[in-house]
Amino acid sequence: MIRMRRVTKIYKGNVYALEDITLDIEKGEFAFLVGPSGSGKSTFIKLLIKEEEPTSGQIYIADTNISQLRKWKVPYLRRKIGCVFQDFKLLPHKTVYQNVAYAMEVTGKSRRLAEQQVPEVLKLVGLGHKLDAFPDELSGGEQQRVAIARAFINRPPILLADEPTGNVDPSLAEGIVRLLERINEAGTTVIMATHDKAIVNTFRKRVIALENGRIIRDQDRGVYGYE
Amino acid sequence: MNKIAYFASETWASLRKNLILAVAAIAVVAVSLGILGMVVMGWNMFSNMIKNAERKVGEVDIYLSDLTTEEERAAIEAFLVSIPEVDPTKVTYKTKDQALQEFKERFKDQPELWEYIDENPLPNSYELMTKDPKDVGLVVGRISNEAPFRDRIEDVKSASSAIEKLENIFDKFRQIGIVGVIALAIVAVLLVSVTIQVAIFARRREIGIMKLVGATNWFIRWPFVLEGISEGLVGSAVAILVALAVKVWILDKLIENLQFLRLSLSPGLLAVLFPCMVLGGVVIGALGSAYALGRFLEV
Ligand SMILES: Nc1ncnc2c1ncn2[C@@H]1O[C@H](COP(=O)(O)OP(=O)(O)OP(=O)(O)O)[C@@H](O)[C@H]1O
Ligand SMILES: [Mg+2]
Repeated sequence: MIRMRRVTKIYKGNVYALEDITLDIEKGEFAFLVGPSGSGKSTFIKLLIKEEEPTSGQIYIADTNISQLRKWKVPYLRRKIGCVFQDFKLLPHKTVYQNVAYAMEVTGKSRRLAEQQVPEVLKLVGLGHKLDAFPDELSGGEQQRVAIARAFINRPPILLADEPTGNVDPSLAEGIVRLLERINEAGTTVIMATHDKAIVNTFRKRVIALENGRIIRDQDRGVYGYE
Repeated sequence: MNKIAYFASETWASLRKNLILAVAAIAVVAVSLGILGMVVMGWNMFSNMIKNAERKVGEVDIYLSDLTTEEERAAIEAFLVSIPEVDPTKVTYKTKDQALQEFKERFKDQPELWEYIDENPLPNSYELMTKDPKDVGLVVGRISNEAPFRDRIEDVKSASSAIEKLENIFDKFRQIGIVGVIALAIVAVLLVSVTIQVAIFARRREIGIMKLVGATNWFIRWPFVLEGISEGLVGSAVAILVALAVKVWILDKLIENLQFLRLSLSPGLLAVLFPCMVLGGVVIGALGSAYALGRFLEV
């Protein structure tokens, strides 16, 4: 599903964020991307949604070389990839329902379809009773569930999560990852960047460990591995 | 249909949010297009007047002093007839009394203009036609420089010299008008673009999220383009109302009251002018938003 070949990303000022990354992530996999702050986790995710371009190397998503993708096709790439971030990125003046429906509207789906599917997906993430609440009336965990619902509403083959539990109460973090796991079980490839040792050790998924922009470990059913 | 409703509601919400800026932009669009409308109508009226007057272009009038004796007059007449460019059969003498009679005839609807005249202020005059209208200037020059008893000739006037002067004056007006319209149109484009920039800035977070969930560039741009175009459209509507008011309350009154100038507006003019003003508004709005989008929205 995702193939990276000798991918290097150098930011302005000669900052090596990623160096010579080669890896494959198969369809239906769940992978944790771990590593200390500044190791290149967010950069990894930005390259996949073409928010940043690699300095060298090739990235393939579902056999499409995205480095050669025409600019106007980028939105269609992003529709295949749901994204969840540490800061939720919800629109404050839209309700929970509207925030999720928005992702359908933007891709040209009909309002009728949204009326059917949005409540369904919100029920899936456990917010079926908060359709009309605004983001600032929700807890961090609830807001992140809305963001996950929005990322999932168009049933993307890939879901990327950059520290989704970072702003969520630790007691609720596991619930968030359970949700991602369920989405993964429904067939979506999930990549989650995280600092959270407890989470990684509990779920026992593939662990890709980065340090200074390099892969230092890639292990199935792995653990966090730093002390 | 769904999309149109979406774009319309986004456009309206955005316009309402920066109402003051939008009103300023609309006002400048209206002023520039309004001036355009007035310049075009004024110019049309003037060129119709010139066209009506052009029949008289071969005519030269020579006004004589009341002190001119019969012999002097005869000598002047002989000179006029002898000018090679003048049609000798079209040299006519008009006395003060004839001139006054003609004046009364022409303004018989406005007797207040002549009722109280007790001494005839109009001079005796010659009226002649050149063989070719283009020789008018030459003939006027010859009379002013070569005629006998030149101190008895008070004035030599040709219709064309008057028209030329008028034409020059109106040309200046038109040039100033056009420069003004262009300058104002540029200001209007910039102001529209400022309102769009503010709208983009206010929605930058939303734009980021739209990109994230895979909105196409045009889906993101459309509400802003529509916002610019609606400002242009509203501006042109205001301009058309103002131009219409000027026509009904000023130009029509001028045409009616200054009939001797033979002013008129060409019949089909407004049917062309008003759609052009609407188009101008759309173009200003579209350019303004295109400029803002090009500079401040990298997608
Ligand atoms: N836009 C940028 N311009 C320049 N340098 C950048 C930019 N973004 C990231 N970097 C640098 O690249 C390196 C990798 O950053 P990245 O955000 O990928 O790390 P991270 O693993 O996500 O860190 P964290 O866990 O703190 O989120 C860091 O040294 C960072 O300072
Ligand atoms: Mg990061």
